[in-house]
Amino acid sequence: MVVKVENLVKRYGDIVAADHLSFSVEEGEVFGLLGPNGSGKTTAINCILSLLKYDSGTIEIFGRPARPDDYDIKRDIGIVMQNVAVYKELTVYENIDYFCGLYIHGKNERKRLVEEAIEFTGLADFRRFYPRKLSGGLLRRLNIACGIAHKPKLVIMDEPTVAIDPQSRNKILEGILELNRQGATIIYTTHYMEEVEQICSRIMIMDRGRAIAIGTKEELKQMISLGEKITVETFGITHSQADALRALPNIVSVECKDRMLVIKSSKGRNNLEAVLECMKTHNIQYGRIYSELPTLNDVFLEITGKDLRDQGV
Amino acid sequence: MQVFKLCMKIARKNMPLMMIYLVVFLVVSLVMTSSLAGEQKVEEPFTRVKSKMAFINEENSPLVEGLREELSKIAEFVELPDETEALQDALFFRKVTYILRVPEGFTGKFMSGEDVQLEKTIIPDSAGNVYIDLSIDKYLNAARLYIKNIGGITQESLVSRLQEDFSLSAPVKMQAPAGRQKDQSYARFFFNYMAYSLLSILILGITAIMLVFNDKGLRMRNACSPVNATSINVQFMLAGAVLTVAAWMIMVMCCLFFNLENALSINTVYFILNSFVFALCGSSLSFLIGNLAKSQDVASAVCNVVTLGFSFISGVFVPQEYLAELVLKIASFTPSYWFVRANNKIGEMTKFDLSSLMEVFSDMLVQVAFAVAFLGIALVAGKKRRYLE
Amino acid sequence: MFVHIFKYRLKCLLRDRANIFWTMMFPVILATFFYMALSNLGSSEAFKPINLAVVDNEHFRQDLQFKNVLEQVSSGDDRLFNLFIVPEERAKEMLEDNSVEGYIKADTSIDPPIALFVKKSGLNQSIVKSFIDDYLQTQSAVKAILSENPGKYAEILRDLSERKNYLKQVSGTKANPDNLPFFFYTLIAMSCFYGGFFGNREITDIQADISPLAARINAAPVHKMKTFLYSASAALLIHLAELFVLLIYLLLVLKVDFGPKTGYVFLTTMSGSVAGLSFGAFVSAVVKKSEGIKIGILVGTTMFCSFLSGMMNQNMKYIISQNVPVLSWINPVNLLTDAFYCLYYYDTYRRYYLNMAALLFFIVLFCSCTFILIRRRRYASL
Repeated sequence: MVVKVENLVKRYGDIVAADHLSFSVEEGEVFGLLGPNGSGKTTAINCILSLLKYDSGTIEIFGRPARPDDYDIKRDIGIVMQNVAVYKELTVYENIDYFCGLYIHGKNERKRLVEEAIEFTGLADFRRFYPRKLSGGLLRRLNIACGIAHKPKLVIMDEPTVAIDPQSRNKILEGILELNRQGATIIYTTHYMEEVEQICSRIMIMDRGRAIAIGTKEELKQMISLGEKITVETFGITHSQADALRALPNIVSVECKDRMLVIKSSKGRNNLEAVLECMKTHNIQYGRIYSELPTLNDVFLEITGKDLRDQGV
Repeated sequence: MQVFKLCMKIARKNMPLMMIYLVVFLVVSLVMTSSLAGEQKVEEPFTRVKSKMAFINEENSPLVEGLREELSKIAEFVELPDETEALQDALFFRKVTYILRVPEGFTGKFMSGEDVQLEKTIIPDSAGNVYIDLSIDKYLNAARLYIKNIGGITQESLVSRLQEDFSLSAPVKMQAPAGRQKDQSYARFFFNYMAYSLLSILILGITAIMLVFNDKGLRMRNACSPVNATSINVQFMLAGAVLTVAAWMIMVMCCLFFNLENALSINTVYFILNSFVFALCGSSLSFLIGNLAKSQDVASAVCNVVTLGFSFISGVFVPQEYLAELVLKIASFTPSYWFVRANNKIGEMTKFDLSSLMEVFSDMLVQVAFAVAFLGIALVAGKKRRYLE
Repeated sequence: MFVHIFKYRLKCLLRDRANIFWTMMFPVILATFFYMALSNLGSSEAFKPINLAVVDNEHFRQDLQFKNVLEQVSSGDDRLFNLFIVPEERAKEMLEDNSVEGYIKADTSIDPPIALFVKKSGLNQSIVKSFIDDYLQTQSAVKAILSENPGKYAEILRDLSERKNYLKQVSGTKANPDNLPFFFYTLIAMSCFYGGFFGNREITDIQADISPLAARINAAPVHKMKTFLYSASAALLIHLAELFVLLIYLLLVLKVDFGPKTGYVFLTTMSGSVAGLSFGAFVSAVVKKSEGIKIGILVGTTMFCSFLSGMMNQNMKYIISQNVPVLSWINPVNLLTDAFYCLYYYDTYRRYYLNMAALLFFIVLFCSCTFILIRRRRYASL
């Protein structure tokens, strides 16, 4: 057990940022914390890092209670903050070297680690650059390099990909998986469900300080009734035709909007075939047609009644 | 008018900082008014406040007593114990500014014509001390004259003769100024000080706007917009002009308001005219700084150095007559120097004939030349910078 | 670890150009301006002859003695007056249009026989008056002597020409009695307190609730206070170096006279640097507002304290010490200024030590308050 949080409660005045939060992270996992902005992800992270005072609950890291002065634990943690936290007066190389030096004492070892981190984040061409000369994506990569140069066993990343271009984002996500392959346990917070689906082995969905669901992405999708979503382009459909579709087994809802017919089914296979069959028999004209498995957004939507996407800014 | 509106918005955002300069300016001006008003109440211009001094004599003699008598005209004696610490403390707390010690045996040696000296301990920065020094030297030199030239003169007769001599004093008559009834010293101070505060406000305000507009992305976006470049520039200039005139007007109004009784004179008209010329010059200097400065940090550093520097060397804080020749020569490369010079001339003006006006106008002309030069350099520098990026 | 943090902190702070400008360049530039503006005060070479008119009337023409003396002091390179001997009407006109500072009119029918006409009172007018008074008084003495010893005229003239100085300055002011250094003392004191910029930065970079950078530092396996002290010592070193540059500049380039105790001046400056740094840290830790407001408070307080200790107007210091002495003891900038002042003007060290003790008290106060405020390693909010 790398991290174990039990009944964590943190209040800011009237706002409850962590409401009896409990979860644990196993070694070797990429653990995703997913939730809209303000759902308490960063609060949870900061509590784990012993930066925040919390009202009640226990946090254990590597089997020991987390304390601000337990430097042996801190030495094995690498953090990547939500905000870029680097010295604007130091170059790329110097920044990484500085932060690495806080963890690693040996000079040669440090040098090697810094070089590796530069290589890893693809900053080799920019080592003499000052942060203000870097583009957003490169800056984020520097931010990551500073957090992971010392090869920590546990890497905590708090929205490291906010506001950057897709290429940089992909590079970062690949990097995270690479880190994980090298043996690091990773806690990753984000409000982009695509990222979570792409890299996380286990996911906790948060809303208003509460954990509303934990599990692998398959497990999460299992939790909800929605099994499949079929979208059909039609050229007009009558009520009776729609009713015929609704009458099919496993079909939960049929809605028509802007000539797009959305058919949601609960669990079960061969729903698409049944729908096609039905449309043929009822002479429903159709153009494009595609079927999707539920996304984490659908999970969030079903549990909270809110759309995850609309809340993220 | 989008550009113009934005400029005004930026200016309003920087208002607190500009207000600080304005408020400091007003407070200093008010302090000046009250202190000048106090000065004017003194009818006889040559009475001085008596300095506080300690007179420690290690011997008593008629001569020393006579000196003491003479000094009592310009000093007030404070009794102090003759201990080093106590005396130094007295100096420290300004209980006295001057300690005079008459060493033992002074009278005897002095009367026999030997070289002797009194010992003084002073706080050096007190103006009254100079008069005490002068007084003592005058008294003893006159005494020496008597001793050398009237053989066997007694101390008593010496003292009484000196007393008679030193009662003489030239009467001073104030000639009522014919053409100028109003006192211009306040206005002069006020307008001179404007060289600091108005310039600070203008540089702060205009560079703040320029920094926003010189931002690369924003400039490109502006260039892409369907508003033509001339219109943008005109609006921009208009904003600068409005800011300049507003700052200038507020200050001039304050001056008139605080100094109403003296303000209704022809001199005031010229003061205002001169300050307007300076305001123009200041805004074109700000335009130049705004074009050269790359960030707010640089701008505020330059603003401080330029305004303080100009003010110190061109006679805003320390009057021009106290400045060294060389410093004034250097200062003549700043517009503030010419502004202050013109102000000083205006303050002294009692006749408004062509020749005295020409002197003032020529100083204003130099300021205009500075304004044109700053503007020219700013335009060239701005263009160059635009191409480089 | 000390070397690592210290080295990088030095790099960081030295590259913070805005900070270096305000803490070093600005005082140096200001010192130069002070020097340029004030160098002429009190130096006699600056004296410019006073334009003075004399009414050319019968009385003046006949008073050969006065005429001679006047002409004597109005000739040569170091002359006192530029003399214009003109008819009365013209003299009035000249006074009117400011071509002269005043005019003298002799009239033996009245007593005293010489009168001065001016339009305003000022230094030049005082000098003219002093001159006339001196003449009248000396003339009276000469007359008195001649009435008893008529043959002594030549000797009297000789004696008159060799005036003696009867005063010598003693103790308390071994240094040159010059008030120029005072302005530079206030400037040094101000620069010491500009060290607050460094103090502020140290707090900003160590308090996780102020900057994300500090959060990262807090999460590292180094004791927070250690990190803080190591970086603060780098800041102190830089600030000390900057102040030394300023002092050297004042001493060697501007040739400001620091009096006989220059060593103590350096020592006092060092304490001032510590005080300034801890003051900045204190403000930064107490004021939970934006960076801009903190800097504003720092600069504002420093400037106000400098004003009260006489930077803009020397008399301010005395007005305060006479009327509200408490204010001069609770103003740390004034304590510093005063410590310099004591070193310069006084023989004894008593007052100096009192100032330094009070300054030390402030340092301890600032440091302990700062310590209490930043000691916490978990924050209520980030």
